[in-house]
Amino acid sequence: MNQLVNSSRKIVCDGNEAAARAVVLARPDVVSVFPITPQSSLVESLSQFVADGVLTAELINAEGEHSVLSALQGACLAGARTYTATSGPGLAFMFEPYIRTPGLRLPMVVSLVTRDMLSPQCVWGGQQDAMTVRECGWIQVYCENVQEVLDTVIMAFKLAEHKDVLLPVNVCHDGNYLSYAVSRIELPAAEMVDGFLGEPDVNWHIALDPDRPMAVDPLTGGTGPGGAASFVGYRKSQVRGMANALEVFSDIHVEWGERFGRHWAPLVEEYRLEDADYAIVTIGSMTGAGKDAVDAARERGEKVGLIKVKTYRPFPRDAIIAALGKVKAAGIVDRSVSFAWDCGPLHQDVMTTLFASPHRLALVGFIGGLAGADITSEHFQRVIELTAQAARGDVSASPIWLNEHD
Amino acid sequence: MASQDTIRFISERCDGCGDCMTACAKAKGSASRVAIVAGSDGGWEMALCRQCGDPKCVANCPAGALDKHRDSGIVDWFKDLCVDCHLCTVGCVYGGIVFDPAAGHVQKCDMCDGSPACVPACDKGALEHLSAAGRLHEIHADKEDMFVPGLSACQGCNSELLIRHTMRRIGRNSVVAAPPGCIPGMGTVGYNGQTGAKMPIFHPLLTNTAAMLGGVKRQYERKGRDVTVVALAGDGGAVDVGFQSLSGAAERGERVLFICVDNEGYMNTGMQASGSTTFGSWTSTTPVGEIGRGKSTDGKYLPQLLMGHGCAYVATASTAFLDDYHAKLEKALEASRTGFAYLHVHAPCPTGWRFPAAMTTEVCRRQVETNFVTLWEFTPEDGLCFTRGVGRPRPVSDYVGMIGKYKHLGPAELERIQASVHRRVEVLQGFRRRSTAAG
Repeated sequence: MNQLVNSSRKIVCDGNEAAARAVVLARPDVVSVFPITPQSSLVESLSQFVADGVLTAELINAEGEHSVLSALQGACLAGARTYTATSGPGLAFMFEPYIRTPGLRLPMVVSLVTRDMLSPQCVWGGQQDAMTVRECGWIQVYCENVQEVLDTVIMAFKLAEHKDVLLPVNVCHDGNYLSYAVSRIELPAAEMVDGFLGEPDVNWHIALDPDRPMAVDPLTGGTGPGGAASFVGYRKSQVRGMANALEVFSDIHVEWGERFGRHWAPLVEEYRLEDADYAIVTIGSMTGAGKDAVDAARERGEKVGLIKVKTYRPFPRDAIIAALGKVKAAGIVDRSVSFAWDCGPLHQDVMTTLFASPHRLALVGFIGGLAGADITSEHFQRVIELTAQAARGDVSASPIWLNEHD
Repeated sequence: MASQDTIRFISERCDGCGDCMTACAKAKGSASRVAIVAGSDGGWEMALCRQCGDPKCVANCPAGALDKHRDSGIVDWFKDLCVDCHLCTVGCVYGGIVFDPAAGHVQKCDMCDGSPACVPACDKGALEHLSAAGRLHEIHADKEDMFVPGLSACQGCNSELLIRHTMRRIGRNSVVAAPPGCIPGMGTVGYNGQTGAKMPIFHPLLTNTAAMLGGVKRQYERKGRDVTVVALAGDGGAVDVGFQSLSGAAERGERVLFICVDNEGYMNTGMQASGSTTFGSWTSTTPVGEIGRGKSTDGKYLPQLLMGHGCAYVATASTAFLDDYHAKLEKALEASRTGFAYLHVHAPCPTGWRFPAAMTTEVCRRQVETNFVTLWEFTPEDGLCFTRGVGRPRPVSDYVGMIGKYKHLGPAELERIQASVHRRVEVLQGFRRRSTAAG
């Protein structure tokens, strides 16, 4: 990375600004915004870029998130590449158009600057908002650091607009820890991103355009002639598009690596897993502290590795099975809860996935980092110890609440 | 403006020859019922019955010898009932009904059974036989109907009439959004891959029509394409859950034409009450029973709220006054090129309001005649202007009595409705510009 493979430049910024700069590079046609903590500085940056003429998109300062996404639906149906960002209660308010977007097959990119959900009232980071909508048909990817935020927002447009996918994408970056954390990052040259993304072609399949008149989303289904078959046809193709996203996103990451010199694991990253006896499983910005803790444990002779989940929806089952197949125990760290299963959502998905594999291993579930709480190297040290203990056959009762006494 | 037949006199074409009078006298076998008279500016004027929408001769007649015909709109005179008091001639400012000494009683134009003899007699083209239907036909007949013939609206529904008129005018270079309600319910958007419309049409959420259309328009503006975007929404999608997105889009001045077709409730799904449902109305969620007396609060009057949004144009309309509607549609379309335009069209619902399907247009007219519905337009520059006078309305009971959803109401409730009708007119008068409001 010392040798510049393009005319990129290095800047220092936080995750919100990195997302905004990625949007500038992606050249959307229409951006609609409504501010909400901890996303606000992201949409402030976008607004300033528009005011400065750096971003030439139509900017719609809507009166709430519901209209934000509604305006983008209209714009997308008229052929626009579209973007917005939201958090927590804003996502909840957006829910009605949100849940409709994947079924309309509208390839939008929406950053979720993740935030814990009230109540208890809170304005801090946590992944409960994004996890709550994990079953809505949006693709969800989680970023580890500021550079990955920038790169992934750009890649997300290519993923969403791919003709085998055609689904909206949430690029999740953790509130507080990524929204405000400042890093040095590399900003790709605009013309290189243009070459990577190409011109938007988002409404070839469904459009509100007098040149191609059609009824968009007439009533479908019911017991009338052909109703059931028609609805199933649409639903099945939506599910297929979701499944296709795994391979398409992997290819996009390969191309990104070739063009820009940064190689991210598209689905699941295996860190120091080759000879590991056990592993910790992470998602989002906690991964950095997790890797530090793994490094420290390795220095003490512990044979521990880390599995980072980047693509969470669709769930990368094969990649998870392949990674877990290398270890005897895993400690899964969630930054949110599944109310139904008394564990974290990631933990639940891992359990479900393992049922499709002959491999059996001990799992320990951890929940940490709620409502802005930090998951430190010390917390990860505890995760590593309890996972090592599980690998030896002594499995602790889950979930273990990492910040319970903080 | 009359909504039915009348004769138009174009004074600048008249040379005072009097051929019209000769033709009339010949046709009627008596003195002419039209008269060419010297105008104050040296030209000519014509004394002629205009078949007024609100005829003063009828109001003045103590004997019931004059009546405006329900179907033809012609003001008829009945010799047998006339008491020769001539009060009618005092009421008419047009000299349209005058005493004929030879005949010994008043005479007036009866439109010669729909083919006035005077009109073809004028070779200067100073006379035109006008009917609302004729005028509209002349303007719109050659335009394409943008919906398929088989829409499945209820019998007597004026929403279908309205959307056909509207989209015939606007045409194919448009994008239409019809949120959940009667308009998509009648098949405009379609079912299972089939559509009832010829232009691009979308079934947005009940909540987000205005915001969604704003997004469509922004993209076309960005691409330099002139596309008209139109909402055909019910009152629920405008007054209730649709209000926030409507308010936001209006405030932002999105270049959208938003038409609210107000049938005062959720009629498509079984007549549940909405925020627009008026006081006393029976609906399936404000039922009448031992205790219940229908809706207990007044309806939210959305067009008044839209005046506070900086819209480029706001107007109310009734399908009993289609030429008034078309004039407002023109202005709204023009206004929507630079800002948000809002049309509020009253849509009495025979199915949900419980009145005979054949009566819809008469109910629409009666709403206006009683000031239950007022017709006006508003621009920020000119303030509010009534497009039909609000003076001397019929008592509101003349309207309420036609509608089944009010049949349980007693005198006290009627009084309340009458009082709120008066109050609304007073409030609206306050939106007139001071200079025009004087007097």
